[in-house]
Amino acid sequence: MTESRGNAPMPAWLLPGLGLLVILLFFLSLGVGTMPLPLTGTLAALFRGESSLETLLLLELRLPRALLGLLVGASLGLAGAAMQGFLRNPLAEPGVIGVSSCAAFGAVLAFYSGISLTFPLALPLGGIGGAFLSVLLLHLLAGREASTLSIILAGVAINAFSAALTSLVLNFAPNPYAALEIIFWIMGSLADRSMEHVQLVAPIMLLGWLLLLASGRGLDALTLGEDTAASLGIDLGYLRLKLILGTALAVGAAVAVSGAIGFVGLVVPHLLRPLVGQQPARLLPASALGGAALLLAADLLVRLLPTGPELKLGVVTALVGAPIFLLLLHRLRREMAE
Amino acid sequence: MRFICKVCRWPSWLAALLLAFGPSVGWAETPSRIVSLNLCADELLLRLADREDIASVTFLAADSRVSSVADQVESLPLNRGRAEEILPLKPDLVLAEPYTTRSTVELLRRLEVPILDVAVPSTLEEVEAQIAEVSAALGRPDRGQAMIKSMRQAQARLGPPPEGPRPLAAVYRPNGFLVGPGTLVDEILRLAGFRNLASEGLQNHNGVLSIETLLWHRPDLLVLNSIEEPMPSLAHEVLSHPALEDAFPEMQRVVVHPALWSCGGPGLMEALAKLRSAAKRLAMGSGE
Repeated sequence: MTESRGNAPMPAWLLPGLGLLVILLFFLSLGVGTMPLPLTGTLAALFRGESSLETLLLLELRLPRALLGLLVGASLGLAGAAMQGFLRNPLAEPGVIGVSSCAAFGAVLAFYSGISLTFPLALPLGGIGGAFLSVLLLHLLAGREASTLSIILAGVAINAFSAALTSLVLNFAPNPYAALEIIFWIMGSLADRSMEHVQLVAPIMLLGWLLLLASGRGLDALTLGEDTAASLGIDLGYLRLKLILGTALAVGAAVAVSGAIGFVGLVVPHLLRPLVGQQPARLLPASALGGAALLLAADLLVRLLPTGPELKLGVVTALVGAPIFLLLLHRLRREMAE
Repeated sequence: MRFICKVCRWPSWLAALLLAFGPSVGWAETPSRIVSLNLCADELLLRLADREDIASVTFLAADSRVSSVADQVESLPLNRGRAEEILPLKPDLVLAEPYTTRSTVELLRRLEVPILDVAVPSTLEEVEAQIAEVSAALGRPDRGQAMIKSMRQAQARLGPPPEGPRPLAAVYRPNGFLVGPGTLVDEILRLAGFRNLASEGLQNHNGVLSIETLLWHRPDLLVLNSIEEPMPSLAHEVLSHPALEDAFPEMQRVVVHPALWSCGGPGLMEALAKLRSAAKRLAMGSGE
């Protein structure tokens, strides 16, 4: 991490390019499904105000799926970049350090207890509660100058514990199908979601994004250490609150409707960091767009692969993400040895 | 060879029937400590036997989400098909499904407890044969005959299915499972005048159908389980997806409780009547 790289200007094409990629993948996502839907014709019919089976498929099945791919991916990418800056740890990521699995536990409690039937907002609130607790716990455990390794190990413990609690709740759940649904909560999927899910979580995610994006300048200062950041006039307490709340809102709401999809927040900031010149403030919006693109692409892949039952999204993101995680670990060890 | 003489005393048609189904074990004339290890057997047992002759039924019999006799179970001991639960009851007849609770059944067989296999039937003919066989084994053949007669009368009262092309129906279950050929559900759909999407419209599907594919085949009727599942699951959430609600207006959907047509019994006629009236509704709707 040299000074020259740190100040390298961000290429002007990066954000517009990523934005274009997201739009392209979004429309591809609308066009791909189990049945051949003529996308342009259906869109035209939609604009003429006609309603048919095709417009219904597009509006109520394809659109929520594409929207959630975009929203959840952006939330995970953004939260990953923010946590890496916050914990000053390149391996920090909602999935790896247990935030997603804690969020899944909270959502599982709200969903299978039946509370969310009468009070739908309980589902994202459960997710947010779980995510908030885990980020807070990590922050307390990791303390001021925690080593990379201790945060990851704390994450391993939080992950294992919340996965066990999730499994416990599902096995006690009164609905006989519940126990089999752990794979959704641990691996994540966007299949058969509806616009109701989108409406439920989109405003919450947007709020979380605002909090995280507003932390950019603070994160930039934090790269110089907490004391320097404080001397630059950054209110560290307020910054931490924004980051913890923003992460909890974005990740908690995302996991509540899609399950815990891992590694998106790890892969995307890692790939984009060299391009933005190591500055968290620039990395945040780029990671949000990159996360949306990655998840939309992964969700396209699971629909195109000829598997019997559809593959869970977390399988794809882990296949891509876990090798990158190992690579990062290897590089960190080398840097520490030098 | 003791049991052959017992069989001899029964009416000849029954003996023929019993021989056709090949029971290899004899049972007391009216067994009085009967245990059932299977939901479908529970239902026949509770309907055909005297209550004091029943020693135990499965825990599923008491679950109104799947059982049509849940209100009749009351204080009967419930079992989960485990040998330790069954042996202390000293059963003199055990009703079991041929492919489940095998280890318990093998143990009971070694102890020479009479076992009657109660397979899941797939046609009305098999249902009637099963009712006759089970009622005979319970020592109550007359009750079985009465049940068969009342089912036949109920079917006759419904008359033939409406004229015209047979509409397409899909039975959609939690997690998006369709019910396919070789099942009672398929038979009842056919008798009600429908074509079953899973039997006729689709090829090589693995049992699960996405909402998108389901809508794509434009079935005329969507048959759902009872939607009164009190506690949520993702599997049930599929059935209340807004796309299904918008694609199938009230006229094109019907709710049939799974307990009515999962097993052979009088519930089948109730399911048939429900579907027949849905078929009439559709025929009138398209005729206008």
